[in-house]
Amino acid sequence: MHASDIQSKFPVVGRETSAVEAARLIAKDGRPGLVIADKEGKPVAVVSAVDVLGLLVPPYVLDDMSLAGVFDENAAEEMWNHASEHTIGELLDNDRVRIYDLLTVDADATILEVAAQMADARTQVALVASEGEARFVTLPAVMDAILRFCTPESKKA
Amino acid sequence: MTIQIVLALVIFAAAYFFIATEKLPRVMVALFGAGLMVIIGATDDHGIFFSEESGIDWNVIFLLLGMMIIVGILQQSGVFEFLAIWAAKRAKGRPFVIMVMLVVITAVLSAFLDNVTTVLLIAPVTLLICDRLAVNPVPFLIAEVMSSNIGGAATLIGDPPNIIIASRGGLTFNDFVINMAPIIAILLVVFVGMCWLMFRKQLQYNPDRVERVMALNEREAIRDVPLLIKSLVVLVLVLSGFILHSVIHLEPAIVALLGAGLLVLLTRLETRKIFADVEWETLLFFAGLFIMVGSLVNLGVIEMVGKAATEAVGTNYFGAAAGLLFGSAIFSGIVDNIPYVATLAPLTNDLVQAGGPDAQPLWWALALGADLGGNASAIGASANVVVLGIAARNGHPISFWMFTKYGLIVTAVTVSLSLPYLWLRYFA
Repeated sequence: MHASDIQSKFPVVGRETSAVEAARLIAKDGRPGLVIADKEGKPVAVVSAVDVLGLLVPPYVLDDMSLAGVFDENAAEEMWNHASEHTIGELLDNDRVRIYDLLTVDADATILEVAAQMADARTQVALVASEGEARFVTLPAVMDAILRFCTPESKKA
Repeated sequence: MTIQIVLALVIFAAAYFFIATEKLPRVMVALFGAGLMVIIGATDDHGIFFSEESGIDWNVIFLLLGMMIIVGILQQSGVFEFLAIWAAKRAKGRPFVIMVMLVVITAVLSAFLDNVTTVLLIAPVTLLICDRLAVNPVPFLIAEVMSSNIGGAATLIGDPPNIIIASRGGLTFNDFVINMAPIIAILLVVFVGMCWLMFRKQLQYNPDRVERVMALNEREAIRDVPLLIKSLVVLVLVLSGFILHSVIHLEPAIVALLGAGLLVLLTRLETRKIFADVEWETLLFFAGLFIMVGSLVNLGVIEMVGKAATEAVGTNYFGAAAGLLFGSAIFSGIVDNIPYVATLAPLTNDLVQAGGPDAQPLWWALALGADLGGNASAIGASANVVVLGIAARNGHPISFWMFTKYGLIVTAVTVSLSLPYLWLRYFA
């Protein structure tokens, strides 16, 4: 099995994409992160889902976690209205957020090669090098492929 | 003047330049400068590690370390956030009353914690309160960081320059409280009045939003009650240790380290959490500075300048105090006040040694100038830079000039009022 066998389409967002839209893309299919494109629309970086989650939370709450508990239910729900004011560009400009350069793997790379490169780069998404429309391998797809080769615990016994 | 002295002065001036302009990380500059001083033979291992006159001032380093550990653990309890929200609720959502309460809380906390820690604790909760009230948080943040710089001047442990001054001048915690706290209390009252003049137009009271502040539950901010109790008990013990110095004869650094050790023992936190707030870079920066200044002491430069200053001052110690006060304020507004005080402390010590008790107020002039001068510009104190960063991250950028505009006014007033205090208290 090769990278090309598990590749798929993956949403690519830009600096101007709102935090709410980014959250929707992640929540829809349980995606582990998002690919970010440069001004020309070329995929260049990966941001993790948890960092997008951080974009939805007011920065002062992230600065001081004990503040998260002081809101009552109504106020806490009201806080999410602010989320639409934020964009992916803020994540790119935030020194505290680690933006990973987009890893590129060969289309004929084995699953071991893909897994090793993704683990080494600590990325959830990698671009598959090929002509035409961009295709990606994702962490769940790689995990799924690996699990097909693993001997189940019950059979080992 | 020997070639060695010329080289040492060039290294020192270059290091100052890079620290002031922040072109390179300050810790790197200080340690590199210290290394060059060793290479040119201006100091050596014995001088660096064991000399009380020209080596690393371990009292300063370990006092800072001990307090960083204690405060790092205490701040995990959420008590400061509790206090700020409690104050906002007592003020019933009236912006200026909230500002006054936050300014006073910040100033008092700053007297016992370092200023950067204080603003890191108070700024996020301020943003929360302002968000609830739908008022601009910028005046609040500016007022808080300035009150932090003012309040920090009141005690030996409130501001790093005071720790250096105390160690070099052999001054106790009580000396600082007796000599600095009265004028700081006066300046704080004046500062509150200035806040009214400077910010009142930006503090719109919106009765519709008050409920949103009143709905905040400050008790939820306290994350760990046993940790809070243990931390407060240890903090009280440490402060008692500082105050009872003349009875127990333990240096502040030892008291702080014993307190930190006791707190670690009582709380049994993970090592990662215990040392999370220790600023190792700051401690190394101090070490590098002490080595550089110590090198100038070894080469006789400080003594030479000290003699010249002593001759120039003669017995006009009020003139010297005024010069030190205003000169320090101006200098501290432009560059970090830590290297400034590290350099000026041995010089001031020479003047005080030569002049005896009559010259003792020079220490207070140096402390007031250096501490209050930190308000003069956006880069005058580390706490200012930290608040500007928090404000920008939360979508309320404060420009350099916006801060400096207010900072120059506050510094001019507070430093000017310090002069008559020095005159009336020590020279009249």
